[in-house]
Amino acid sequence: MSLPLAIRDLRVTGPSGRVLLAVDALDLAPGSLVGVRGPSGAGKSTLLYALGGLLPAAGAVRWGETELLSLSEERRTAFRAVHIGMIFQDFLLFEELGSTDNAALPAMFAPRASRKATREAAAANLRHLGLEPGARPVASFSGGERQRVGVARALASNAPVLLADEPTASLHREAAETLIGDLVVLTREHGRTLIAVSHDLNLLARMDRVLWVEDGVLRMEGPDAA
Amino acid sequence: MLRDLWDGLPVLVQEVAVLLALLAPLLLIGGWLLRGFAPWPLVRAVLWRFRWANAMFVALIAISVGMGIGLIAQERGLRQGTAAAADKFDLIVSAPGSEMTMMLATVFLQPSDVPLLDGETYNMVANHPDVRLAAPLAFGDSYGDAPVIGTTEDFARHLSEDRIAGRMWQQPFEAIAGPAAPVSLGQVFTPAHGMGNEADLGAHGLVDFTVVGTFPRTGTPWDRAILVPVEAVWEVHGLANGHAPDAPNQLGPPFDAAYFPGTPSIIVRAEALWVNYALRSEFTRQNETMAFFPGTVLSNLYRVMGDVRQVMSIMAVVTQVLVAASVLLGLFILTRLFQRQVAMLRALGAPRRFVLSVVWSYAASLLVAGTLVGIALGVVATAAISFVVTQRTDILVNASLGWGEIHLAAAFLALTSLLSVLPALATLRQPVVEGLRA
Repeated sequence: MSLPLAIRDLRVTGPSGRVLLAVDALDLAPGSLVGVRGPSGAGKSTLLYALGGLLPAAGAVRWGETELLSLSEERRTAFRAVHIGMIFQDFLLFEELGSTDNAALPAMFAPRASRKATREAAAANLRHLGLEPGARPVASFSGGERQRVGVARALASNAPVLLADEPTASLHREAAETLIGDLVVLTREHGRTLIAVSHDLNLLARMDRVLWVEDGVLRMEGPDAA
Repeated sequence: MLRDLWDGLPVLVQEVAVLLALLAPLLLIGGWLLRGFAPWPLVRAVLWRFRWANAMFVALIAISVGMGIGLIAQERGLRQGTAAAADKFDLIVSAPGSEMTMMLATVFLQPSDVPLLDGETYNMVANHPDVRLAAPLAFGDSYGDAPVIGTTEDFARHLSEDRIAGRMWQQPFEAIAGPAAPVSLGQVFTPAHGMGNEADLGAHGLVDFTVVGTFPRTGTPWDRAILVPVEAVWEVHGLANGHAPDAPNQLGPPFDAAYFPGTPSIIVRAEALWVNYALRSEFTRQNETMAFFPGTVLSNLYRVMGDVRQVMSIMAVVTQVLVAASVLLGLFILTRLFQRQVAMLRALGAPRRFVLSVVWSYAASLLVAGTLVGIALGVVATAAISFVVTQRTDILVNASLGWGEIHLAAAFLALTSLLSVLPALATLRQPVVEGLRA
């Protein structure tokens, strides 16, 4: 079962002291599918990174019982390993490794006892996404295939929360559509929470809710919502 | 207490213990970083991604390690070879002067102009009750690049350990040839006066020697020599032949002091090893004679060289560490190229120690591979240099890989494996988000 999210008075400031992101309050039920849109440079990715505890920030980001910002960097990393799967615009795979090794990457630093399960989960995810687990280097894969490996990796440790940063931006339309379908199904099936930063209207249309970020401020509705 | 315990251990156990102690930093860092992780697929990926740069790094490390090992093994081999070459020469008696010069002349056949000992002195040495063998030497002639040396049958048998093929000389103009001398059994040759370019080929035009015997390899410069009866050399030079006119055909001792032309040195072998010390003091007489152990002269030389050896070892290590440092700097630059993937690993929840283990294992793999290849290179280089040295000097140099070299390589690995934590730490310094956005 997924985790509820509660944000209070979140402030991310840049090196110059400028506020990069401000969120007064946001509550998401577990299993929500949430899109985040807004102009480039508005702070969408910053929001995503703050939700993953990748940035120093003030305020509170509470996933279930865990207040992420009060943890040390290493504890936040450990929290991500168990609870958060991340999907990146340009996949960030190890090009020399095959689909299995890439998708099962978290197994390399997971406790020995859970390694096998993680690898099996990765292989199952790959098959679910229409890919054959194998050792052929992913460098030879198409963009769509690579992003599916990236999704399989995000799901490998069975994290209840997925954070996706422009997951379809590097894909052509057809591959993007397939990926959106897979992502939504995989999320809904297991009651996961998905928060996806995207400009892709087709993706945003499949979300339960779309948030708008502009000039570092989170709004509940976008300009075209009305 | 501990000292006694240590000294009581077998040498092999001591050497292995030192090796393990030297490898301890590598094993400890590796054990600590890798505990509970399985980063090998990533390490392999990085090794493959930068394969050309990695091959270059391994080659650089291998060459520097190989050179260090080769240098030290060669130095030891040369020391052992020269010591072995002096084995047959227990005690040398000569006119007072430089022991080093006399040793080079007698043991290593590098004669220079030295004063001669007369017949009375020779007889005094030869007739001493504790002396079993007292051989005069006559240098100065050559055939090709082989020195022709006059001596006695006893010494020829001692030198060859009585393993002469063919037979011993029975006539003054018969010769016994070393295995590297340019003559074969049965060959007739005319020696030239002098050595090398200054040799006077026509000086002994009417004299022919016949090779009647050869002796097997001794691993000394004497392997290139042609031994002839000392009487023949004296006669060829128009001197008395060491014997009174009523015994013109005698070969070997006793010599008649009145007809003894002189010898630059006398090679002495005592009846028992322990009397050598007594003989040395007995034959050391102010302004008349000097007696010395070539082994002692060599070990004095080695003692001086020992400091040089230490300096050489340190220089070898410093060179290796400098090469390793530049390699690590290269790695540091390379790791910048996978900064994004490091950030990705952190974003996926990989602990710092895991990232450290990937980067460190990558660096350590190169260092270990370079060191192993370097050891192999060192062995090959050492064998090649030994071969050349043996060919050129006839001093049998058997340089082989010793514990010293293994320890040197292990020390190198220990130090550099510590240093390679630095590029690993450097990759962690950059904030994760910067890496993801790069």
